[in-house]
Amino acid sequence: MENFLQQLLNGLSLGGIYALIALGYTMVYGVLKLINFAHGDLFTIGAYVGFTLLVSVGITDSVDPMAALIIMGATVMLFVATLGVGLERAAYRPLRHSPRLSAVVSALGASIFFQNAVMLIYGARFHVYPQGLFTKSTLSLFGLYLPLVKVFVLMVSLVVMTLLYFFIQKTLTGAAIRAVAIDHNAARLVGINVDKVVTIVFVVGPALGGLAGLMVGLLYGQITFTMGWLYGLKAFTAAILGGIGNIPGAMLGGIILGIIESMASAYLSIAWKDAVTFVVLILILTIRPTGILGERIAEKV
Amino acid sequence: MKRWIVGVLAFCSGLFFSLVVANGANEVKIGLMGPMTGKWASEGQEMKQVLDLLVEDVNAKGGVNGMKVNLVVEDDGGDPRTAALAAQKLVTQKVIAVIGTYGSAVTEASQGIFNEAKVIQIANGSTAIRLTEKKLPYFFRTCPRDDEQAKVAVQTIRKLGFKNIAILHDNTTYAKGLAEEAKGLLEKEAGGVKIVFFDALTPGEQDYTAILTKLKSASPDMVFFTGYYPEAGLLLKQKKEMKWDVPFIGGDATNNPDLVKIAGKEAAVGFYFLSAPLPKDLPSGEAKTLLEAFSKKYGNPPNSIYAVLAGDGFRVIIKAIETTKSTDPDKLADYLHKELKDFPGFTGSIAFDEKGDRVGEVYRVYKVDEKGQFILQP
Repeated sequence: MENFLQQLLNGLSLGGIYALIALGYTMVYGVLKLINFAHGDLFTIGAYVGFTLLVSVGITDSVDPMAALIIMGATVMLFVATLGVGLERAAYRPLRHSPRLSAVVSALGASIFFQNAVMLIYGARFHVYPQGLFTKSTLSLFGLYLPLVKVFVLMVSLVVMTLLYFFIQKTLTGAAIRAVAIDHNAARLVGINVDKVVTIVFVVGPALGGLAGLMVGLLYGQITFTMGWLYGLKAFTAAILGGIGNIPGAMLGGIILGIIESMASAYLSIAWKDAVTFVVLILILTIRPTGILGERIAEKV
Repeated sequence: MKRWIVGVLAFCSGLFFSLVVANGANEVKIGLMGPMTGKWASEGQEMKQVLDLLVEDVNAKGGVNGMKVNLVVEDDGGDPRTAALAAQKLVTQKVIAVIGTYGSAVTEASQGIFNEAKVIQIANGSTAIRLTEKKLPYFFRTCPRDDEQAKVAVQTIRKLGFKNIAILHDNTTYAKGLAEEAKGLLEKEAGGVKIVFFDALTPGEQDYTAILTKLKSASPDMVFFTGYYPEAGLLLKQKKEMKWDVPFIGGDATNNPDLVKIAGKEAAVGFYFLSAPLPKDLPSGEAKTLLEAFSKKYGNPPNSIYAVLAGDGFRVIIKAIETTKSTDPDKLADYLHKELKDFPGFTGSIAFDEKGDRVGEVYRVYKVDEKGQFILQP
């Protein structure tokens, strides 16, 4: 039982990160029907920008840790969002009316570009976030261990996801995004500036990806320029699992994926963990081809 | 009129080609295949740094048999598929020999291509047993083999007196081979040692808490991890966060200072690993000269023993070309197999057996101290 709960916690905190990255995939897919393969690399860039702020700028020398966290979060989100908007302008907008495959290839190219740019700027070696900046204490309840940083990271992802959900559902801009997701031309007919909506999507999605990168850096300490690939793959899977194009679906998919992974390694085999995960994915997709929450096609963003 | 122009053009291009051929005859092309990008890029880039240094040195002394050495670098990305392409590119550029590469699975993907093209390959970090069991006539390696490594691992485990052993690998050719070899040896020797856990993780992930939780429930008194340093560092760090105090021992792929950076000194202290001696512990005079030259050029001494082993591979092939006065692959391979004895390499004396394995040379045991330094164990 103790083991089960510990594994559940492990899965939950991993799933929170997957969910945060999955949101970026799902928003872009909802609006453009495009898998943004460069999203994983925007996530990597978020982690490296956080690293620069901590190590080269030395942000924790001048302000206290909590304020430093907020400044770092804001800077990383702003920087990655700017990159995201630039990416859309340069690599996706010119291909908006070309066959879908061209945009996918362009996305793959952008991914390779970003990955190698990070390698050339920062070098190929692993970088490590300075340790001991934030609390290292571990909660131990009933024999379960949960580092406080993990609790913090999980809370931040839940808060950000809830905010995003209300932004999409309750604001006028959110309504415009939903409208564009349903039909570009009809949205244009009722006076929505489609290009502006797409830009907003490329602000929000990459900003969340960048934030996830920063949190992974704070949580695991080790960052490398190839890290975005595996996280991107997992988050993409999570987005499909939950129903791609659907925001609550991405959150649910991420958390379910994290839990399946930790349960599979606990009770089956660690080596077969990914195989089990994908078998579950195939099963869910055979029963529900649109993903778990995918039926609300009309609401997808 | 037109014919006249064509004639001049033909003459010019003929002249051009003969010049190129003449130039080509005056240089020896040696390939380097290594992970310049990808997760092992720090290894590959250091391999290139060492070889650049050595090539400069050879060319400054007038080259080999009067021919300049031209180093052709191809990136294998630490990935078997990329390696196959890199190998084909090197073959079409007509290199005589190739140094590299680091990972066993990556080397395996390129072996067949080089062998068919009769290009001598000297691997520097690929320790998987089966690479030389194929008895390819043009394949050599300057690093030792995993059966020897497993033997030393088992000796160390017994010497330290551990009884319940967990073995964790990462499903790569190298790590799985080493894990299975060690498992076989431990089972055969019985001696009260039990294997309580045997499984593999997925390299490249960052959250290994699920695996550690499962490992812990098997309650081993020592964990033998046969994978690479990025994962080893994270395992140590997350084990510390779980407040689980169990000794870890790693294979030679955990030998990289980045391990301590990733894990943090507090979590890395007490970690044992097996390795060929580190650059700083190399006793030979050749090694000292190399370390000095390397530090002078790049500002820091080499971190990786595999980069130094790549340098050994390069010097061996230059020696072979010099002695046989030939670039014929059969003559070179024959020389390396049979005649090269006690060559004073950076990592000790070098000779190859009939399979292309390096003879002699033993693994050492290292332990991480409080300062994060790697200390050679007696």
